[in-house]
Amino acid sequence: MILRRLAALLFVPLMVAFGSGVYLYLGTLKSKVVKEHAQLPTVTKPKFVLPGTMFVVQDGRIFKLNAGSFTEIGPAGDWSQPALTPDHTRLLAVARAGASSDLYLLDLGGQIVKRLTKNDSKILDANHWAYYPRVSPDGATLFFSFDSPKLVKAAPGVDLSVWSMPLNGTQSQARRWTDPYWYTGGDVSPIPVVGGGLLYVRHSIDPSTAVHAQIYYQTRPFGTGKALTSLADDCSEPALSPDGTQLAMVCSRGKQTAALEVAPFDGGVLGPAKVLLDSGLYASPAWSPDGKALAYLAPAGAAGHFQLWYLALPLPAASATASTSAAGASPASTPRPTTTPAPLAPVQVTQGVDLTGTSAPAWY
Amino acid sequence: MRLVALTVFCLLLSGVAGAAAYFFPVVVAGVGQTGQTVIIPPSVTLGAKTTPAPAASPGAPFTVLLLGSDDDSKFASDHVLTQSMILVRVDPQSRHVAMLSIPRDLWLPLSSGGSGKIDWAYSNGGPSAAMATVERNFHVHIDEYAWIGLKGLIKLIDQLGGIDVLVTNPVLDDFYPDDIGGGYAFGAKRVAVLPGAQHLDGSQALQYVRSRHNDINGDFGRSARQQEVLLAIKAKASTLNAADLPDIVTALKGEFKTSMGLDRVRSLLGVASGFDLANVQQVVLYAPTYTYYPGYYINGNSVVLPHWNQILPVVKASFP
Repeated sequence: MILRRLAALLFVPLMVAFGSGVYLYLGTLKSKVVKEHAQLPTVTKPKFVLPGTMFVVQDGRIFKLNAGSFTEIGPAGDWSQPALTPDHTRLLAVARAGASSDLYLLDLGGQIVKRLTKNDSKILDANHWAYYPRVSPDGATLFFSFDSPKLVKAAPGVDLSVWSMPLNGTQSQARRWTDPYWYTGGDVSPIPVVGGGLLYVRHSIDPSTAVHAQIYYQTRPFGTGKALTSLADDCSEPALSPDGTQLAMVCSRGKQTAALEVAPFDGGVLGPAKVLLDSGLYASPAWSPDGKALAYLAPAGAAGHFQLWYLALPLPAASATASTSAAGASPASTPRPTTTPAPLAPVQVTQGVDLTGTSAPAWY
Repeated sequence: MRLVALTVFCLLLSGVAGAAAYFFPVVVAGVGQTGQTVIIPPSVTLGAKTTPAPAASPGAPFTVLLLGSDDDSKFASDHVLTQSMILVRVDPQSRHVAMLSIPRDLWLPLSSGGSGKIDWAYSNGGPSAAMATVERNFHVHIDEYAWIGLKGLIKLIDQLGGIDVLVTNPVLDDFYPDDIGGGYAFGAKRVAVLPGAQHLDGSQALQYVRSRHNDINGDFGRSARQQEVLLAIKAKASTLNAADLPDIVTALKGEFKTSMGLDRVRSLLGVASGFDLANVQQVVLYAPTYTYYPGYYINGNSVVLPHWNQILPVVKASFP
């Protein structure tokens, strides 16, 4: 009798332990989607060592990648969109604070050198956004997207225009370059080119009112822009090679997937595009310092977090062809002889991080 | 021998108890949030009657009305507007999905009587009134409904670890409703979702699908974004398994309800994994093709009016 009671007493903790074990085991069967949480880049080791130095962003923090190792730079805040000055001695970045965002000049260690804009206000709709900072090749002029002026009609319009200002000047000297198509979100991703021209992405609509992205070229403030890509191709996120002869871009053609493409660029003329990768969520291409490879961001794994990828380019692109279009006109279709993706093998550089897809890597 | 049998029995019992504890939230949700009874009320003003179709047999196509609502302090409990109404037909055999977004400002006869904006239907009579209003105006049979609140959408996407979306153009809004945090329900805040492929968490995804003030297509543009996010959720959900359900239903507590039983929810998750985006037909009732702005207010309301001669053929083709 005593033995039975003793056995029963022993059974209780055994049953509790087994039941708990089943409970915990079921928890381990959760899919990676639910279990996988992004890590900070600094606690990861890149799978591939990139040449040079690169700045990327995750969760409002800027990370420097050099010699296969990440270090975090910059003060606390919600930082994004780092970009290098042409002499590679300074970094531009966007700091978002609630209802506004501002541009800052940082040193390469992330210390603030200068606040370039002041866009915050106590009145909600008097706040402004500034994004996509880029410096002209001569290092003198800052270009950026800025949501001013705002349209005051039945529906309040908040659209980005491209503006410029002296890098060593003040925001009061800023000058607007583009007139956005209202209520589309406006003009983004300015890239000043040698000779004073400007590449940027313009959003507008087709006859069915679907919104599209096009890469435009413009030579002066409020000049007539020239569309370099067609409405239907939905090309955006341009990145100019270090020698200024090739343009990388992402083209989605109205779909929820995109192609990563490269086209020769001859200071205002875009040649036939070559599809490097197709049917993926490619974002924010950036050229390697030698112009022979691209880095870009794309999801990897079940969690869908964006990782850094490296793509070596096999052949130099052909020189720009005489593909011209009338100023302001939309080419019926960008010349694109290559529709089959070339057999390129991208290399996944990072693993387990969650880089910000809308912040292109800054690489030198 | 008896001792061995007793040991095995006790371990089985404790194992079942452990599994039951793990899936307890699912059972609670199954009782409280799924299998909601819907009684389509007789129409007060609408002449057309929709004959209740027999319950769809397993494997047969079925139609679900997806409803997304404000559920903040602006409204009395369960008397919320449906900011999003998407009719979805799923054909498990052909693996074809059709999605039709219904503009929230569409002015039409309501099943509960009189005319009004279609987003009032749920507010006036709950899911049955919303279903009846859609059935009788669009001449379509609806098998099920699923309702989710704003916070529910955030929690669902966060539980899925975020979603990947390709944002076509900047979504900027100076008057985005600031009603989630529990403060002033009629407050506003500025939001900016930048273009390009990106990983969105629940709050960012809500901003993306809810903003409309600076969209050239207004509510229609927002409807298209809602369909994009729905497909992104589907893509993510297709990798879930049964062990994920307790966390998800716990997160959605009070923010989700459906007429679907657990069997259908489970089969829906199952078929979701096999669908190809190429088999998804997306329809948004854009103006001026399917709807039009009358250029005047009705009872002080900004509305859109239907071109039924354009809408009904599309509905008939997509929702046979």
